[in-house]
Amino acid sequence: MTISAERPTEVAASSVSPPAQSGGTSWTQRPGWLSQHAGTAIILAILGYLLGHWMGNAISGNYDYIANSGQNAIADTFGLSFGVLGWLLGIGALNYPLAKLVGKEAAHEETVEGWSKYFRYSLDHKVVGLQYVVGVLLFMFTGGLLAMAIRTELLSPTTHVFSPDTYIKIVSEHGTIMMMMATSIIVGPLGNYLVPLMIGARRMAFPRIEAFSFWIFVAGYGVIFSALPYGGFPTGWTGYAPLQTQAGPGMVSYLLGFAVIGMGMMAAGFNIAVTIINYRAPGMTWSRVPIFVWSILATAALLTLATPVLFAGGLFGLLDKTAQTAFYVTEHGGSSYLWQNLFWFFGHPEVYIMALPGFGIVGEIMPVFTRKPLFAYKVAAAGMIGVALLSFFVWQHHLFQSGINPDMRPLFMLTTELISIPTGFIYLVGMGTLYKAKIRFEVPMLFCMALFFNFLIGGVTGVFLSDVPVNVTVHGGFFVLSHFHYTIMGGLLFAFMAGLYFWLPKMTGKMMNKKLGLVHFWTMFVFFNLTFFPMFVIGLLGQPRRVFTYAKNLQGLNDFSSMMAFCLGLSFLIFFANLMWSMFISPVKAPANPWESLGLEWQTASPIPAHNFERIPVILTDPYHYSEVGAPALADFGDGGLVSSNSTTGSSPA
Amino acid sequence: MTDMSNKSRSYSETPEEREFELRAQIGSTWSGGRLFIGMYTFLLASLAFSYFYLRSANNGLLWRPNGVTAPTSFGWAIYSLGVMTALLAIFGQVRLRKGSVIDWQVAGWTGVAGGLVALFLQIWQLTTLPFYPGSSGYASTFVGWAVINIGTLLFGTYWLETTLARSLRMRKEIGGPEPELSTNPSARLFRANVASMTYFWGFVALSSTLFLAMFYIL
Repeated sequence: MTISAERPTEVAASSVSPPAQSGGTSWTQRPGWLSQHAGTAIILAILGYLLGHWMGNAISGNYDYIANSGQNAIADTFGLSFGVLGWLLGIGALNYPLAKLVGKEAAHEETVEGWSKYFRYSLDHKVVGLQYVVGVLLFMFTGGLLAMAIRTELLSPTTHVFSPDTYIKIVSEHGTIMMMMATSIIVGPLGNYLVPLMIGARRMAFPRIEAFSFWIFVAGYGVIFSALPYGGFPTGWTGYAPLQTQAGPGMVSYLLGFAVIGMGMMAAGFNIAVTIINYRAPGMTWSRVPIFVWSILATAALLTLATPVLFAGGLFGLLDKTAQTAFYVTEHGGSSYLWQNLFWFFGHPEVYIMALPGFGIVGEIMPVFTRKPLFAYKVAAAGMIGVALLSFFVWQHHLFQSGINPDMRPLFMLTTELISIPTGFIYLVGMGTLYKAKIRFEVPMLFCMALFFNFLIGGVTGVFLSDVPVNVTVHGGFFVLSHFHYTIMGGLLFAFMAGLYFWLPKMTGKMMNKKLGLVHFWTMFVFFNLTFFPMFVIGLLGQPRRVFTYAKNLQGLNDFSSMMAFCLGLSFLIFFANLMWSMFISPVKAPANPWESLGLEWQTASPIPAHNFERIPVILTDPYHYSEVGAPALADFGDGGLVSSNSTTGSSPA
Repeated sequence: MTDMSNKSRSYSETPEEREFELRAQIGSTWSGGRLFIGMYTFLLASLAFSYFYLRSANNGLLWRPNGVTAPTSFGWAIYSLGVMTALLAIFGQVRLRKGSVIDWQVAGWTGVAGGLVALFLQIWQLTTLPFYPGSSGYASTFVGWAVINIGTLLFGTYWLETTLARSLRMRKEIGGPEPELSTNPSARLFRANVASMTYFWGFVALSSTLFLAMFYIL
């Protein structure tokens, strides 16, 4: 289909909108305190919790097993579930689904201007993206504080800050919060904000589902955090049965929290996948799709297909807690291994849910700072799809030690090692792009380079861990802990920071302070490695995870690691200070295209118009023709001018 | 599945852009419906995996002691109503394509009634089980299936009902002698939604057959 480049003579009425309107302005968008916003959501969430808890007690209070146990998982489940429902009702997520029951379409959405739009159920993907930025940072800082508590306890094997019970609950909460945050840390903020811009779309396919994904993500944070006042849970982030079955009410928060955040993950993946498939601008063929979009598409596929298994696992766990089923109770015909299978069938693809968007970011950023085309673009895209597919066939390596039939070990060792091949392809694409490049060492690029350094260590140790003999030897120790921190924090979090420093100027119109950025990068990079590399040694010397004491001879290494961890925490405070300084205290207006990128998202006006592009662009080539003489024009924006692929100014046509 | 943003459109659109957006919305409804079935498949696969895992493990010989079975009459009734609703949705869609909106609506509302009765029976069945939920692997997976089926019937019936309610409000757009041929944007979107909803119900009928065999026949 061809989009006309001619100026229209009419302002289109919303001809694609159903004609029947419910009339008036949506409650989510009315100005003032009487409208629906985060405040009303909090109030209704509290009321919902109280109502649900009362109902749960009324229904089940006289059951013998509850009356004698001193805890009521049914009341807790009802309370938290109604709390989530109240939250969604209060923010306005249920307005449209309820209006549909009587055939109405959504009310007219009037855009609220100013900061208050960030506290509302916004249908603008750019607002949702920024909401996610704040949401995941809140998640990350909460989990980070818990990490500081862990390292404080590990300063001494004999003098304790926490009891062993409290320590394991802190470890569990830290792991769960971080893993749930990490699944959304790139897809949520950058995926939602950038994907429509990168594919030349004016909107998401399902903006209400997108907004739902964010607000239920926040509700899930609340549910998981509610485990602390409930007394925590002792299982670590993996929630293994039978400990899960024996645990107190905090376990309900864990299981329900996973299910609630799982719904958000499915919604986010679903919406983004459908948007990429259907809303690509004319000319945006699959071979012209930016590599970041490829990574988000592969991640969205994993989110939509793997998360239902986690949801089911959580549901079965909740049924064990409330309806007294025995899914994970071996003595009653269930099996604790069933949880492990369901959990890791989601849990290992989740590793790639976290890793792939990181690779997408560096693949997108490196050509900008090397001024070279992305090396072997198609190999990178194929590698991402390959990783996504293979990730469904490796989950049993998490059971090498805990109950897998020994005859099955070689098969899953093989599949796990196979996945390092497409991962290696992606890595080599990065190296190929760097080869003979004149690199501009801006802050985003430094974070990209650091990712390759960190991921090399995390990846190589991962190949070792896939081998049964090594796996059996170091299982459950600090070696594994260090490995996954190198891949997730060293990979994903560094990529996220690269992405923030790179795209925040476009998202906010303000530049991040470069000096503070450099201080942030170097402190984060150095102290990250000094924190986690010693843990490989600590692990090889035999220190187990999740235990609050350890052999006396390991205190020196542990103390060193703890001190470096505190410095690492300080580096995040520098980032936070930079964010506050650059965005609020002393903002510097960002140029339209400060990095001289050819990406489509940089070619629209700054600030970005409400509907992204004045005309839907016609894409003429891929966005990686850096430094190519006679490169074809990038796109036709329908305003009479073409944006050249080898432009170094990145002029904004709009 | 249609989820459209009705933002005030202060920007201008050329006719080609409007057509492009409409096609994208129709495509989103179509592919969204199929992707949703993919998600639902993985959810059901988790339950099926649990069923066969616990069945083959048979821990403590407690997979299914004494061959206990959930109430069969309830099971067949719920299944039959679900399949009936799916068949009515398919029949209604065929009639809609041939221009008979009223046939689609009658079939649809009958399907909604069937879905609600099935939902009621599924909840009732849970209260009359002849076994304790935690008494065996079979009992646990059955309760899991019942809960998932309640969600499925609730969602499927909601989708059918909202589509029908929408059709009542947009009679003029989808009406006329040959509504399938209507090029009205609302009608085109509506048909895409009906197709996705019907496809989902067809899949529900197929998957129900599988689980009927697992829980009542095997």
